[in-house]
Amino acid sequence: MIASLRPTLLFPVSRTSTEANRTGSWRFVRPVYRFKTAPCSAACPAGIDIPTVEMLASRGQIHDAWAHICRENPFPAVCGRVCFHPCEDACNRAELDAPIAINALERYIGDAGLAACSPLVSPAAALLQREVAIVGAGPAGLAAGYFLTQLGISAEIFESTEEPGGVLRWGIPSYRLPKAVLAAEIDRIAAAGVKIHCNRPVNPDTLAEMAARYDAVLVGAGLAAPLRLNISGEASIIDGLAFLKQVQAGSAPVASGEVAVIGGGNTAIDVARTLLRQGARPTIVYRRRRQDMPAFGHEIAAAEAEGVRIVELMAPVSAAADGNGVRMTLQPMRAAEVGADGRVRAVPAKQPPQEMRFKAVFSGIGAGVAEPWHRPADEADAIRLSHCAICRGTPTVGYIGDPVTAENSVAHAIGSGKQAAIALHALFTEGPEAVAPAVDRCRVGPGPALSMEIYLNGERSRRNGRVVTFADVNTDYFLRAERCAIPALAPAAAANGFEEAVATLKPRDALAEAARCFNCGICNDCDNCRIFCPEQTILVGEGGRRSVDLDYCKGCGICTVECPRCAMDMEEESA
Amino acid sequence: MSESINADRGLTYPGNLGCPGCGASIAINHALKGLGEKTVLVIPACCFAIMAGPYPMTALKVPILHTAFATAAVSAAGVRAGLDMQGDTETTVVAWAGDGGTFDIGIQSLSGTAERNDDIIFVCYDNEAYMNTGVQRSSATPYGTRTTTTPGAGWKRTRKKNIMEIMAAHRIPYAATANIAFPDDFIRKFAKAREMRGGTRFIHVFSSCPTGWGVASSLAIKIARLATRSNIFPLYEIENGTDWTLNLEGDLPVGDYLGAQGRFRHLTPEDLEQIQQEVDADLALIQERVAATRVRKAHLKPET
Ligand SMILES: Cc1ncc(C[n+]2csc(CCOP(=O)(O)OP(=O)(O)O)c2C)c(N)n1
Ligand code: SF4
Ligand code: SF4
Ligand SMILES: [Mg+2]
Repeated sequence: MIASLRPTLLFPVSRTSTEANRTGSWRFVRPVYRFKTAPCSAACPAGIDIPTVEMLASRGQIHDAWAHICRENPFPAVCGRVCFHPCEDACNRAELDAPIAINALERYIGDAGLAACSPLVSPAAALLQREVAIVGAGPAGLAAGYFLTQLGISAEIFESTEEPGGVLRWGIPSYRLPKAVLAAEIDRIAAAGVKIHCNRPVNPDTLAEMAARYDAVLVGAGLAAPLRLNISGEASIIDGLAFLKQVQAGSAPVASGEVAVIGGGNTAIDVARTLLRQGARPTIVYRRRRQDMPAFGHEIAAAEAEGVRIVELMAPVSAAADGNGVRMTLQPMRAAEVGADGRVRAVPAKQPPQEMRFKAVFSGIGAGVAEPWHRPADEADAIRLSHCAICRGTPTVGYIGDPVTAENSVAHAIGSGKQAAIALHALFTEGPEAVAPAVDRCRVGPGPALSMEIYLNGERSRRNGRVVTFADVNTDYFLRAERCAIPALAPAAAANGFEEAVATLKPRDALAEAARCFNCGICNDCDNCRIFCPEQTILVGEGGRRSVDLDYCKGCGICTVECPRCAMDMEEESA
Repeated sequence: MSESINADRGLTYPGNLGCPGCGASIAINHALKGLGEKTVLVIPACCFAIMAGPYPMTALKVPILHTAFATAAVSAAGVRAGLDMQGDTETTVVAWAGDGGTFDIGIQSLSGTAERNDDIIFVCYDNEAYMNTGVQRSSATPYGTRTTTTPGAGWKRTRKKNIMEIMAAHRIPYAATANIAFPDDFIRKFAKAREMRGGTRFIHVFSSCPTGWGVASSLAIKIARLATRSNIFPLYEIENGTDWTLNLEGDLPVGDYLGAQGRFRHLTPEDLEQIQQEVDADLALIQERVAATRVRKAHLKPET
């Protein structure tokens, strides 16, 4: 062949790649994977990592979702039934259509855990040679025992009654929380290594004995003393909490006819709905306005749907029993200015007092501390934290649960037990100065929710505390989709007995509901960042962990904009 | 960087010389997912000719033939003929041209190739101007655009040429639109075109150009998505020049798309209204053809 016709001379062929062009040097901003805090998880008093739970659930990894909840809360089936779910009020999805049914999903996942008889995972931390005694097997005490065990500290609970559970057992009626569900979740905590001794009441003397034998004692005695109305004839009014206890024990006399329940909180609602189920016709009498009732909105709505009557702006003045029942004298009230507690006050209206007759009257205004030693003395040298107080000295005595939490709920009690466990672990391992910083470090976003996973330096500890807002979500990727309907008995049927009023989601609905979750602030492997990167610089590592090849990333920022859930940020290059 | 990293970059190398956020870069990534490694690209003068690698570099793991501005389609047909002579029926030959190389200077060779129904896929990645030489208007530049040759008050007063209707008029087996913001649809269409073999297939790709459009590079996908959601760039397919399918119906007004770009910033509400009317009319035309296709097909089907 003629040399000048050799193909190589006619056709220049490229034999090297553009990899030699380090286009990363063009960049003045760089993308970073920065997982953030979902508003729901920051609002959850137990600090559950909700975006991850819903991500796992949407993939059908229900057992993984369950285990993930249990890192922060050993009571998913209980909380899935009784929690007031502040998470849903914080959910970003509300701005697109409706919040995720987080509570119903927790129940679905919790029930799956019970059905599978899954054991709680074994302690995550090294064993410490420390023993803690806990007074009271209510939600705070049980949670404290569980989390202490997780931290390698042995825990023993002393319960005064014949069964553990506290307010969950005797306070919450079985139409909201079946006893079997409660028992199963408590059994699982016991199986995880928490020793629970029943019929072991504690008094200040035995407390002192215990304190000598243990490295610390946690007092979680709850609120057991009924609050008084302080009106004349109070003796003719039945204590609602005692009534609920009797009903649980099967020893309550059956009420009938027109009955009244005084109060506006959850106790009043529970008493009224229980009375309804006994066949009585209950009326709730509340001194403020309906919208001021401290009871959870969905509980009030359920009570009314079942037939409970609510009379607002009526304050009891006196009660008098006669052979046929109780005659109540009630003062009409009117709404006044906002009080020091931030709530609208009620003051007597101009109208004269009225009389109403009932077959029986129950008080449902909540409870207070039964014994002075159930809460820390005001003058005690205590590390006072958001959900617990640790009194230093020999021995260390901590206080958990309702007597020391600003808000009283099962989720807050769980958060309290968790905080005390973290505080004691920090105290034992690093000393008193370490307690407050340790607790602070575990905050989910701005808190006060706390995460055990963060304390144990798990994946969550590397998340940024910034809470993801709706504006941070790229809604191009989310179509409107209806929130699942939560299956429930018809109110009339529910009011007929003590059967559970609300049912568990069906698997298909649960998965679809979980898939509605934006998974705010975390990576769910949608792969958008990689699909749209013009430079193919997104690399996928083990467990789906993504990273940016900064040798070539030009800093266009498409990945960060197209991440639907704000798991990435752009950061200025530092020179 | 950790060792466990999966550095799967598909059929491209990093380090191309495109601007940050270049839509053509995203387009080639999507396209090669649908085309696979048995592909030869034929690239005329355009931004992508630079991005594909200045000699002696290449940005792609498939062979590329660089060709003259006007000749993408015929060069591709020539490569096809060469492969056929070698007995290679597996490899797909793809012409990959800009809008200038398609709508303007490339159209005679494209039309000739389509008329002969040569076995190639012709892809126009449309960034709506001659970007590589500094944003001069092309016949793909839409009404209302400012470019360096339609600057200031002299913004472009004529509408964008409808290349899809031109290609449909050739009655080629397949013509489709695709948008970088809709990767699933995009990849599906490329895979479908690859499998169809035997005739000319044409794919009109919407490809954002942050530099030429006055848009932040980070918004390249958002803008592209808006183009389809506002029906300015509808996603549809035409088989045999007559059977129309609409893949997605947009739900947003044109203002959302136009208002976000520097090249349209001067447009008044009246201008937007006029553009909206044209977009609505164009979509209605497509819908009519889709409906007519359905009627015709129902007619052809034997009664069951
Ligand atoms: C015959 C000829 N005329 C002019 C040029 C200069 N030129 C190179 S690329 C280009 C613009 C290409 O525009 P388009 O096809 O839209 O691709 P883009 O660069 O916008 O991606 C021009 C005019 C050339 N290379 N050959
Ligand atoms: S969408 Fe999901 S992650 Fe985001 S706030 Fe709601 S439940 Fe939490
Ligand atoms: S785009 Fe998807 S894959 Fe990438 S970081 Fe965000 S959630 Fe994860
Ligand atoms: Mg162009």
